[in-house]
Amino acid sequence: MKNLFYVHGLGCCGDSISMFNAEEPDFFKALDIAGINVLWHPSLSNIQDNALKELVSDIIRGEREVFIFAVEGAVPLGFDGEGSAYEFCGYNFVDLVRKIASVSRYVVAIGTCAAFGGIPASKGNPTSSTGLQYRGDVFGGALGKDFVSKGGLPVVNVPGCPAHPDWIVETFVMLAGEKLKAEDLDYANRPLLFYNSLAHHGCPRNEFYEFKSSAEQFGQMGCLFEFLGCRGTQCESDCNVRLWLGRTGSCPRGGFPCISCTSQVFPTFGTRFFKTEMVGNIPRFLPRDVPKAWYIGISSLAKMATPERLKVNSVSPYPVYPLRKVKR
Amino acid sequence: MKRILSPLNRLEGDLTVEIDIDGGVVRDARVSGVMYRGFERIMRNRYPEDALVYTPRICGICSVSHSVAASRALEAICEEINISSDGMIARNIVHAVETVMSHVTQFYLYLVPDMLSDTFSLNGFKDLIAERMGYGGSSFKKIFAERKRFLEILGIVAGKWPHTLAIHPSGVTKSLNLSDVIRIKGVLESFVDVLEETLYGVELAKLVEISNEDQLLDYAESMDSDLSIFIKFCRKADILDLGKGPGNFICGGAFYDGDNYLFRPGVVLNGSVKDFDPFKVKESIENSFFNATKEVETPFDDFSEPFPYKKGAYSWVKAPRYSGHVVEVGPLARLVISERSLFKDLFTKYGSTVYTRVMARIFEAAYILLALRKWLDKLSFGNNYFGDYKLKSKGTGVGITEAARGLLMHWLCVENGVIKNYQVISPTTWNCSPRDDMDNPGALEMALMGVPAEDGDLSYVNLVIRSFDPCLVCSVH
Repeated sequence: MKNLFYVHGLGCCGDSISMFNAEEPDFFKALDIAGINVLWHPSLSNIQDNALKELVSDIIRGEREVFIFAVEGAVPLGFDGEGSAYEFCGYNFVDLVRKIASVSRYVVAIGTCAAFGGIPASKGNPTSSTGLQYRGDVFGGALGKDFVSKGGLPVVNVPGCPAHPDWIVETFVMLAGEKLKAEDLDYANRPLLFYNSLAHHGCPRNEFYEFKSSAEQFGQMGCLFEFLGCRGTQCESDCNVRLWLGRTGSCPRGGFPCISCTSQVFPTFGTRFFKTEMVGNIPRFLPRDVPKAWYIGISSLAKMATPERLKVNSVSPYPVYPLRKVKR
Repeated sequence: MKRILSPLNRLEGDLTVEIDIDGGVVRDARVSGVMYRGFERIMRNRYPEDALVYTPRICGICSVSHSVAASRALEAICEEINISSDGMIARNIVHAVETVMSHVTQFYLYLVPDMLSDTFSLNGFKDLIAERMGYGGSSFKKIFAERKRFLEILGIVAGKWPHTLAIHPSGVTKSLNLSDVIRIKGVLESFVDVLEETLYGVELAKLVEISNEDQLLDYAESMDSDLSIFIKFCRKADILDLGKGPGNFICGGAFYDGDNYLFRPGVVLNGSVKDFDPFKVKESIENSFFNATKEVETPFDDFSEPFPYKKGAYSWVKAPRYSGHVVEVGPLARLVISERSLFKDLFTKYGSTVYTRVMARIFEAAYILLALRKWLDKLSFGNNYFGDYKLKSKGTGVGITEAARGLLMHWLCVENGVIKNYQVISPTTWNCSPRDDMDNPGALEMALMGVPAEDGDLSYVNLVIRSFDPCLVCSVH
């Protein structure tokens, strides 16, 4: 059995909750498949208090092996650069993370806070928080640029706010089976398997997107990109193909915009949520890999070609055209 | 003998409990939150709507209740608002599913393991509990298999969970259709079937007819259910009086369906029920790692700054008080204030204890599930579930709701179209507060005093802590 040691830093426990939402395989099945033993997880283990402190010191002394060291939540370097904003098992959290990372075969950052700093590290950052090996898009973080775990990988980042349950359990299964190699990670050390597509792919509003027929307020069927701040065309994830919670939902399926929560700079994009920032009449953040001139050309053509059906439905909560009289 | 319990598992976030044991009994207790994230500072100078993105991320287990509180705070500073009544019902549905799931998960995953201590072997009764309700036990397996399906309701209405952005002022962002609702009903009834088979042993409608302790004991004797096992456990282990809290309660009102609250707002102080006035809430920082920067009249002008080196302080949690009183919040508070007769009876007999707190959590799940059925039938189709709203550029508003663990308040102060101040007072801030300026201990601190702890056996202490279902990530925002 391969030991998983899982700790929470500055976070909300939301990634753990998400992990327990896994369906196929569910979390416990995934552990069986991967041959993983939960050495410790804050919600699952009966070990606490002094027994946990002993376990931690055994790990640090190399007497208990950790195969996967998973961290959820950001790592504070404050206050005064000492990391005292969060103390765990008698250590400043950052020191504990460094010590355990150095003896673990693989280190995984679960969720955007652990990967890149996320909300605790966003503008203001009162705790001087950082991700394990990135602070936003700057490589380094709490463990430093040179960190490579015993298994030969940098920190494997599984961002998302929260991360999709599959991303977490499948990463564990891949690592336990020694199936994840350096070339399987992207520019932000995220497994390509999950992050090599856009949240936009599979969005049920794609036909509206193509013809630039947009929702003007929430609850309407149109595309959320033009007015309501959707970043699905910029966000690297497979949310709309994989889907959430029994394959029933995703952000745009729930009627709200993608906010690119897997991004290195989430949530500090330098702009507001729920409203697309415009420069003239062009969105400031364009769909990924689409040059501005082409965007302008294609979108004005698309607007000219928009079928009446899409124009009408895009601002309606239900499909009304052509079967029903238009109701606004 | 002093004993510091840290870190504690099976709760949300990090809690440290320091107890003083003398003569086999806890004489004194200090409860600390040991982590700081600084949400309130991060929120400053952001657009008010950004609260819908940030505040749910305070907590992964009760993120929807933060969405609801933030939406209500924003609704309170609207220049114009057009509320969608369907949107309000859909909001309740999402909030209800989160609450029920939290209660059920907390019982099996977090509380039951404390019942399995050797101290409570009770002539083999412990083995029965373990086989059914323990990790991997028969009920545990059934409930966790069904839990993932129950979540589909959140997928359908709210897109994803935790951290949905479907809840906005005036309604929700998705307008449901009949097909959605039929599917939700299917999922709901499957979940109810499993709970009736394991936790309750009877139909929900029958269970909620139980209106006093005598009927409850008849039920416990005649029914084979996890709930009846819990009731028997409390009697056999003789813990009916264990972990007595202050006996003062607040409920901010929850699940408003446009006409009524499922749990109405109110306050119980020294035995009498009064109206709840949010402006009687004040947070003390005497023993918390914060320094005041100016005189604080209401939480709107609380700009206290973190100061980790403060002498005498021992927690990152502040100490909210209601007119100076130490108050407990949570399911028991809601049920007593809403005058559910079973809980009036239990509260009169035992006060707030491990027994009554856990009972309230289990019964409340049933009350909410029954309400969920009704709400689904009230939905209409063809209208937008999002109303519309326009915010003022200056104003203050309090967003009040009830999270699974109790009263949740968001105090929002907007100036020049951006957030000037945002203060969150979460349920565990009340329950796990440190001492206030009058040196009054918080609710959990109070409940721990007098708890047996012979020869360093912490079984009773563990039960008392988990009975509050502490959520420290919320309280150390």
